[in-house]
Amino acid sequence: MPAATDGTVAVSSLSHTYGAESGEGTLALQDIDFSVAKGRFVSIVGPSGCGKSSLLMMLAGLRHPTSGEILCGGAPVKKPDPERIGVVFQEASLFPWLSARKNVEFPLSLRGVPQKVRTEKALHALELVGLKDFAERLPHELSGGMKQRVSIARGLVQDPQILMMDEPFAALDEQTRFSMGDELLRIWDETHKTILFVTHSLSEALYLSDEVLVMSARPGRIIDRIEVDLPRPRTFEVMSSPRFVELRERIWQQIRH
Amino acid sequence: MLRFRSIWFARLAIILAFFALWEIAPRVGLMNERLLPPLSDVIAALIGLLGSASFYPHLGTTLFQTLLAFLIAVPAGAILGILIAENRFASEVFKPLVFFIFSIPKSIFLPMFILAFGIGLTQKVAFGVFSTIFIVMMTAFAAIASVKEEHLRVARSYGASTMQVVLRVYLPSMTPVLLEAVRLAMIFNFTGILLAEMYASRRGLGNLIGTWGMSFQLDQLLAAIILISGLSIVFNETIRALELRLEHWRG
Repeated sequence: MPAATDGTVAVSSLSHTYGAESGEGTLALQDIDFSVAKGRFVSIVGPSGCGKSSLLMMLAGLRHPTSGEILCGGAPVKKPDPERIGVVFQEASLFPWLSARKNVEFPLSLRGVPQKVRTEKALHALELVGLKDFAERLPHELSGGMKQRVSIARGLVQDPQILMMDEPFAALDEQTRFSMGDELLRIWDETHKTILFVTHSLSEALYLSDEVLVMSARPGRIIDRIEVDLPRPRTFEVMSSPRFVELRERIWQQIRH
Repeated sequence: MLRFRSIWFARLAIILAFFALWEIAPRVGLMNERLLPPLSDVIAALIGLLGSASFYPHLGTTLFQTLLAFLIAVPAGAILGILIAENRFASEVFKPLVFFIFSIPKSIFLPMFILAFGIGLTQKVAFGVFSTIFIVMMTAFAAIASVKEEHLRVARSYGASTMQVVLRVYLPSMTPVLLEAVRLAMIFNFTGILLAEMYASRRGLGNLIGTWGMSFQLDQLLAAIILISGLSIVFNETIRALELRLEHWRG
């Protein structure tokens, strides 16, 4: 399926109503339309409860929208497809009873990939996130940032073209958060994945992304689409540049109410 | 390190002081020797018990009944508890009922068990299971509650089948809490079986204790108490050590 591996994402007229089956429902997402070209880093920001995480879960095939179409790599998303889409959740999502390597191997083991191949791929993914030496550690022996890098490795282990990240650094302290951002940009640069990144931090979104999608409060709609024309590679100083501050202000004005 | 050592020292000192008092108090007349024989006499009685061939059938009967009741109550309680906790309707209906029954002292039903099952093996095992199954069910509720939503979501996002979710997420998530169920089950079981034996039986450790108590053979009685305490503590601590090793599983 060459079409399924080209790393594009396209969403058209997606709407979602909670409790639609029982008649009286709550409209959560309304007329979401956007597309993402292969290899782009796109963030989704919005006020809490706007449905940005739900939207990402739908893109990953974990939930079904009431109406609308989702295409990832040119093919519709009906159910989770880890070879096409890798998902990275918040920190607590590693299995505490498995070592870092076994956690990364988890998606492969579900599909009965032979142990030798699994180990090889897992170690490769751990190397990519700079944790090869910690492969046999259990999650409780790792720092918050390291755990999150293991999660990223788990998302990357099947080499999907698209990576969906749901507030992956939300549980980390500010400093770790931005060094993880740099780490993610390095990985993105090496792997050329398409990344969709949900966050509630405007600075994080602008610092990392090519494009930022701004969502309104419920019902969540896309109310702005910002091309982040800040030069790469980005460094800490970029956050005090006039353009960064201007873009941040523009988003802030739209979601503060 | 120093703190750790001093804690152990204090514990050991208390145990030694207790045993020393036990030895000395009856000897100097602080305690009636008929009611509390000195420790050395009790240890002599214990050695005598362990050396007598007629003691082992009693020990064997009690351990066999306890084990049998345990082997029925733990899987049955765990499976029932999991089935109830996993179904929303069943949870609403059965959880409060299980809590109600748990709060009733089980010993008051013992005479009914004798009327229904006599005083043999069946009655002992049935009463053991009855004493235990509710605590196992309640622990199974807690075990299901300990399965994290995030972990289930991860498994689903990587395309796990229902069977894979059960084996790879539910089972390991629940293991630490289920170990607790095993530990509590053994305590409740042992208590139930010994009580049933003391109340009405032909043999077993509980039977011996009942007889020795009534015939003022306190050295024998205390020897049996030491033996049962030792068995219980060793079992309990073994499971607890396992639980501690899995503590970080709870994340």
